Amino acid sequence: MLPWLYHRWTGLWLLITALGALSLFLYGFFPLKYHSGKLASMDDLPNVINGISIDGQSVYNSGENSVVLMVIDGLRYDFVTEEYMPFTGQLIKNKSACIYVSVAEPPTVTMPRIKAMMTGSVSTFADVALNFGAPAVTGDSVLRVAASRGRRTVMYGDDTWLRLFPGLWTESDGTTSFFVTDYTEVDQNVTRHLDKVLTPDEKTEPSFDLLVLHYLGLDHIGHLEGARSPKIKPKLVEMDDVVKKIYYAMQKWDRTGVLLVCGDHGMRDAGGHGGASTAELLVPLVVLTSDGFKCPHDSGAGPTVAQTDVAPTLAWLLGAPPPGDSVGRVLPALLPPDPRQHLYLLHVLAERNARLVPATDKEFYKQFERAKKQFAHYLATGQQSAAKIAKEFYEESLEEMAKYLTESTTDFDMFAIGVATFLLYVLAGALLSLTLFSLQPETRRKISVHQQHKSKTGSLIAFIIILAISSIILIISCFITETKSQVCSFNPIWSIAFIAITIVPTVTYFIIKTAIENTRDLSTLRDLNVIDYLLIIGTLFHSWSFFGTSFIEEEHMTWYFFWNTLMFFILVRTIVVVVMYFAKRWSGATEVQEKPDLENRMSSVGVSIVPQWILLIALHRYLRTMNQTGDRWLFLPDTADWLNAPENAFYLELHLVIGTLLTLAICLWNLRYMNNYMQMHSALTFVATACIFCYRIATNSLDSPFSGIKTWDPVLIVDVFWAILIAQVVFEIFTYIGMFKTCGFPLKSNNKFTYNKPKAKSEDYFYDQMEEPWNIDEVKLNLARSITHIMYNDLMLIIILLMRPHNVIMVPSIYFTCKLTSKCLDHKLLDSRAGRNTEIADILSKSLVHLWIGILFFFYQGNSNSLASVDLGSGYVGLREYSAPRVALRMGLHAYAAPALAGAALFCALSTRVQDWRR
Amino acid sequence: MFSLNNHLELRRVTISSLVTCIYLPSIVTVISYKGLLYSVGNASSLYILVLIFVAELMKSFYLNSNNDLHIKKKASKSRAGDIVKSFVFLLGVMFSFFVGIILFGAPVLEYHEETLMLSCLLTLLTVFPLIAHTGMELAIQLLFGVKNFSRDTIIAMLVNNALLTVCGAWLGAVVIPLDWNTPWQQWPIPCYLGAIGGYLLSNVLTVTKVTLMSAANKYPVLNIVVNMINRLHISK
Repeated sequence: MLPWLYHRWTGLWLLITALGALSLFLYGFFPLKYHSGKLASMDDLPNVINGISIDGQSVYNSGENSVVLMVIDGLRYDFVTEEYMPFTGQLIKNKSACIYVSVAEPPTVTMPRIKAMMTGSVSTFADVALNFGAPAVTGDSVLRVAASRGRRTVMYGDDTWLRLFPGLWTESDGTTSFFVTDYTEVDQNVTRHLDKVLTPDEKTEPSFDLLVLHYLGLDHIGHLEGARSPKIKPKLVEMDDVVKKIYYAMQKWDRTGVLLVCGDHGMRDAGGHGGASTAELLVPLVVLTSDGFKCPHDSGAGPTVAQTDVAPTLAWLLGAPPPGDSVGRVLPALLPPDPRQHLYLLHVLAERNARLVPATDKEFYKQFERAKKQFAHYLATGQQSAAKIAKEFYEESLEEMAKYLTESTTDFDMFAIGVATFLLYVLAGALLSLTLFSLQPETRRKISVHQQHKSKTGSLIAFIIILAISSIILIISCFITETKSQVCSFNPIWSIAFIAITIVPTVTYFIIKTAIENTRDLSTLRDLNVIDYLLIIGTLFHSWSFFGTSFIEEEHMTWYFFWNTLMFFILVRTIVVVVMYFAKRWSGATEVQEKPDLENRMSSVGVSIVPQWILLIALHRYLRTMNQTGDRWLFLPDTADWLNAPENAFYLELHLVIGTLLTLAICLWNLRYMNNYMQMHSALTFVATACIFCYRIATNSLDSPFSGIKTWDPVLIVDVFWAILIAQVVFEIFTYIGMFKTCGFPLKSNNKFTYNKPKAKSEDYFYDQMEEPWNIDEVKLNLARSITHIMYNDLMLIIILLMRPHNVIMVPSIYFTCKLTSKCLDHKLLDSRAGRNTEIADILSKSLVHLWIGILFFFYQGNSNSLASVDLGSGYVGLREYSAPRVALRMGLHAYAAPALAGAALFCALSTRVQDWRR
Repeated sequence: MFSLNNHLELRRVTISSLVTCIYLPSIVTVISYKGLLYSVGNASSLYILVLIFVAELMKSFYLNSNNDLHIKKKASKSRAGDIVKSFVFLLGVMFSFFVGIILFGAPVLEYHEETLMLSCLLTLLTVFPLIAHTGMELAIQLLFGVKNFSRDTIIAMLVNNALLTVCGAWLGAVVIPLDWNTPWQQWPIPCYLGAIGGYLLSNVLTVTKVTLMSAANKYPVLNIVVNMINRLHISK
């Protein structure tokens, strides 16, 4: 019965089921939205309103328009002012143009926003994952209805549009958005077409009905330098010139020209986007037409509209029906003055929304019915008062409907989330009890194996009973909650998931049961001290704190607080123990006499560790100010801003150089654990570091006396750098296989460093495998040691290459923190009594503390739980063209640099400490 | 930790704790009624510190009053020198509090005044009563845990007060980053009030415990509660 309990498959099974539960959770959290897929056509326009007939198609007709939709990526609301965009600001001021506050729904990423503007429907968070790999829109969109009406559509700019709506353009020229580092050429690529396309043909009509311009430069500047960058203003002035150009070109046309200028999403002060802060959500929408347009709204911020309102507006202007899934309204400023047409437009949109809303008993639906009645009355009698009332009713019901539709599409599957959370907690409990079980001494386990005698049928019956109980509970809860969740739909595919869900707790129950039954001796836990308990409680609190959104947004605060507490505890404890020791010695207590070992340890703690620890606290205090992160205090200036200011370039370079050199030193120090050929390795490391410096110089982040390097190609340098790292790894592995001996490579047996022994052993491994099996362990250990260290070294070098200049200092800081903390956490360090076995407690506290350090530096680096804080720039280091896996790899490595480094450091620490291979 | 053997000491401890339980809340109440609660960080609120200083001094006189009988002559000799020394030591403690607070996350470049006020308060509530009661040298020894204090009821109380004060200030920092947008979520108000709260809590606990201990003579059931409170006290 028992052996499987400490079999490694149990752990693997737990891991897999945990992944399954996690995906269930994600499924519940990110519901996939199903579009109705309905395609609109002109025949859908109603011809009868409450029994009164009306010629829908002719009333709906908006006349001949040429629409220019100018999307400026990342244009947030406060950018459209007279200061940044003088011409546009002037137009708004004298009411020749209208400005709206348009609200984008999260996720504020380009692809879902374009989709929202074109389909008129609300997108979900699942779209973020698909942001880069944008699949074509299958449902209805403005472009499809326009194409079906034979309109000419032209597109210049971001090629996301082309991928979303393939085959719907008359003419197009896409620019790729993946080169974040480029912010001039992407826009020139768009503007260069303008002169040609805006010039009217011989009939003084423009050659298009819909022109989409998508400018990426602003967003790229934001990603690179943030919203306060000095480059923002020239870029906006450039955009303003484009507006001016279009405005004057429109005056020459024979048709009515309509210009819509909007951003797809806003921008945080730090430059990212993706979240739900006001700066990201509020986007300006400027509307103007060429035929004596006068803005009906008061001057000021402008009324608030939804971003989805763009779709029906465009469709109407193009003389096409509103797209099938659209829930928006036509922008008020563009609504026709003729009350008949005006009301008819409102009616069309309201009717469409009413069809999407299943509930007919809602207040807004009744309002819609009333409005319809008034409209029919107006059509029959022509009373202006009826038109007025109808208009009011329509607007009210439209507003409510849009709100309702937006809310219902972002519904979470609460049942799936609840079940997944429950499963995750149960699995965590199982893991915990397994860990406790594995903490028991070896002999105990063996005894307990013999104690158990159970028949197989008995356990089978027990299993089935528990399974039945859990499935009954699940079914009952399905019916009690009356959920609409897919999990409870009992169709064949979901039944499999359903059964899987019931099996998981059953199996886990048995694991927990057997583990707890056999866990009797927990004496090892007695070695834990206050700091260990702090670590455990902190980790538990963290897993619990995710129930509050504020805790998620400001997660770094939780970690900073815990980390500070930990440092404070360690400081006090260390000082107190040392002072007590010396006081005892001084007063001549017997228990501390005649112990030279203890004395050495204590004096080293007093002389070196305590001051180092205080320095470490100061270092962390400094690093904490480096990057503001989270949500609420993101806008505060931080040290990184100060360093990146042009006048402080010297300090920035100082950070960069110190960080890189320290890392070099650490790498060289780590080489002690390598196999022999020290010189080779150190030479390779030196060259790699030199590559990093060259790259920094070539990308202008570092000044150097050698101006020649500036002209070098950064891509080439990075390629060389990769080659060196790969060479290092391959070289290290080959020395173990003894490859070079057969190749005739001269063996250096008398290195300065004394690690030539493993080499000899590695040969034994191959030649004397049969006779001396005891060597294998040592060779394996050495291999593990050197592989972990080489992995750590390479990781550090790569991350230094990817990091922003001011963050480079983090890499050596992580190393020092890990080293010093594991020294201080050593249970034996401060213990005057010798001979206690604290191995397990040590490993436990060390793994936890490395986890903490990883997360801590993750936040120091400026990351947060928001998608907006992902640094896109690092994905393009040393790449000439876009390739999704490579960019994703770089970005991932950059974002999770700190946890990766801390994990590698943990492996290194374990492998150097471990004395025999199987611990 | 506490014992009923020394009735005199126990009475003193109780009375001084009771006095604290009365005067600290009244100070806080008065300033909050005057609308000054949110300005406790400013230098203009120095009078609070002065009040606390005077009160603590009085308390220590009361606590010391009987000891003077034996050591009066010895003490009077180097009284002045002692005072100067302790004053310098207090300044040193205050400075290290100041540096420590900044190291653990207080703003570096601004709010120096507020940080200074907080470190003043912490010094006043933690180290000052110890020094006033035992004299400087013994206080240093106590601080570093060299001297064992478990026999002395008064010192045990003072050390407990100090520990809970620091804990209160530490926990007070928790609320600063929360998104409640209240006016008191500003540096250093939560820490300041947390320190006062911790000190108060410690005193309340002392009073409760002594009361319960004397009551436990009659009703032994209450011993359980006494033990529970004993656990609450952090001891080295």
